[in-house]
Amino acid sequence: MRRIESQIDTNAPDYKANFAAMSARLKEFHTRQHAARFERPQRDNDRLARQNKLGVRERLKLLLDPGTPFLEFSTLAACREYDGAVPGAAVVTGIGIVQGREVAIHANDASVKGGAWYPLTVKKIVRLLDVALENRLPVIHICDSAGGFLPLQHGVFPDRYLGGRVFRNQVKLSQANIPQIAVVGGHCTAGGAYVPTLSDYNIIIEGTGAIFLGGPPLVKAATGEVVGVQELGGAVMHTSVSGTGDYRAATEQHAFSLAREIVSQWKRMPKTIIETAPCEEPYYDPKELYGIIPKDRKTQFDMREVLARIVDGSRFHEYQPDYGTTLVCGFAHIWGYKVGILANNGVLFNDSSLKAAHFMQLCNQNRTPLVFFQNITGYMVGREYEERGIAKDGAKMLMAQGGSVVPKFTVIANASYGAGNYGMCGRAWDARTLFMWPQAEIGVMGADQAANTMADVKIRQLQREGKELTDEEIAAIREPVLERYKRDVEAYTSTSEIWDDGILDPVDTRNALAMSISAALNAPIDDPHYGIFRL
Amino acid sequence: MRRIFQIGGEETECWLAHDGSRFVLNTPEGVLPCRLDPTTSPGGFVLRARGLVRDVRLAAGPESTFVHMDGRTYEVGRADPAERLAGSDGGASDDRIVAPMPGVVVSVAVKPGDIVAAGQPLLVIESMKLETTLAAPRDGVVAEIPFAAGDSFGLKDVLAQLAPEED
Repeated sequence: MRRIESQIDTNAPDYKANFAAMSARLKEFHTRQHAARFERPQRDNDRLARQNKLGVRERLKLLLDPGTPFLEFSTLAACREYDGAVPGAAVVTGIGIVQGREVAIHANDASVKGGAWYPLTVKKIVRLLDVALENRLPVIHICDSAGGFLPLQHGVFPDRYLGGRVFRNQVKLSQANIPQIAVVGGHCTAGGAYVPTLSDYNIIIEGTGAIFLGGPPLVKAATGEVVGVQELGGAVMHTSVSGTGDYRAATEQHAFSLAREIVSQWKRMPKTIIETAPCEEPYYDPKELYGIIPKDRKTQFDMREVLARIVDGSRFHEYQPDYGTTLVCGFAHIWGYKVGILANNGVLFNDSSLKAAHFMQLCNQNRTPLVFFQNITGYMVGREYEERGIAKDGAKMLMAQGGSVVPKFTVIANASYGAGNYGMCGRAWDARTLFMWPQAEIGVMGADQAANTMADVKIRQLQREGKELTDEEIAAIREPVLERYKRDVEAYTSTSEIWDDGILDPVDTRNALAMSISAALNAPIDDPHYGIFRL
Repeated sequence: MRRIFQIGGEETECWLAHDGSRFVLNTPEGVLPCRLDPTTSPGGFVLRARGLVRDVRLAAGPESTFVHMDGRTYEVGRADPAERLAGSDGGASDDRIVAPMPGVVVSVAVKPGDIVAAGQPLLVIESMKLETTLAAPRDGVVAEIPFAAGDSFGLKDVLAQLAPEED
């Protein structure tokens, strides 16, 4: 495979300006991420210490193999909800390595609101369990939750993808012969009691862990019975009387060593085999990505320059290099794994859409995972293109993309607007993982277009009522709409709402993709099959 | 197709194969039986070919392999055939810059008569929320820039024209 020849001049003023802008953004991102992971009010840390509990990060350290990577999802979930008071949505999720095996981890963070389930907590847990189902990853639950956050119970409990879905997914995992362990390091009350009881193995930590459908106060209110936590649902009672618990652990350290021992005796299922090559670092420095991504989102850039800083040896076999040139398609390796890449170099036209559909069929036929790099402002509009059937060609692309049986992975590298998001495997299209870069935007259209459209509607309405508007009045209508929309399309809004699996520092993209691909190979790849292509 | 190697600046084509009992190197001069056996020293090998026996040391890098033999070091580079055989691509480039899609001119950086270098930005256009810089395809002189900043243009309209190249 040939190396991409970079045209980037690292001394150019534009490059330096971009580098400075991206560095500033990343400084903000890393600061926010660090705060969400580690910074807590003193009283919350004091409470954990008083309860004789370890923090969630210390628990992960005990569980995971030392020196192995942990691919953490949605570190900034809920960063724009609940007044920013529920960092990470009070739960840590990700893919980690235990006894040399890839496992999905769901760990309540009791330093945030006692680990209560907010609406976005539930969304984050359900997403993690979906990841486990799609990739056939064993799950380790670390339970320590105050239960559903009652003032927002309408957003936690009733709907299809809310609380019940956590337990439904646990059932589906078990049905699919995917093992689960629960380590009970706090109270599992009411619905929460089903997380350990639906797991194949559960471990209760003496003194801190407890499982019950109703805690002592509720029991007293309901029946008048007075009973303590340990008698009602502690480790001794459940492991020796009720059989609800499997293992009693004397300490947190004991609990996680038991969990590791359980993982080590599971049968190892063979992984799906795809094409691989010896791993090679990118020839070009990934840090140069900072200077390549333009500081102004509207400025066009060559996505090959991005690929050259992500794929093995910066080597890329480009498919149809002279056709449909606004979409770059081709083969490369990431940490040795062969992948088919689709990357936007402009608007999607008829030819680029057809090229995409054809290339994806090719990858499905030879079982090559697909990686999408989005910088897409949409499918081309206008009479000429409608006459050529742009909607029909776009539909072919969607049919091939949505019908793909190979694992798909998406990086929203810059713009993700409109139907282009769909064609390029946006959130609704089952990418195994989907990450955003910090300056990226996602929305039905660009901020200016949306603000103008919304302002125009309002202005026409006022004009119909006979009002003449001055330029200042028009600006007064437009500006707040524009400000609001600009905020709504930002990566921080997306990641807060868990429309993605997290924001990435661009230099981490290569590792995040490789871990995602490796995890995906725990599941088999089906034979290719599609719906009907509108030819 | 044989692999293409560069040894001391000279290109040679060969292909290593196995004839069932031994390794043979297919070269333009014919088929050459050969074998390479590792010794106990790091990078050390014994090379046997054409009845000759030589001690060699090998160091393999990403671009080329260094062979130390008879007190000399040879750099053996591998040429990528797809690149090596592509020939001079492009040929004479077009004098005209044609609109890749309908849009609006954002800014114009040059005027007719200006001398431009290949890759130099000529004008910036905007279409579908995207600003694209159109650059000179070759060194030359600007003959015509038909649109000004703010003008709309259609698909395949000529946005810039260079003066024909003189031989």
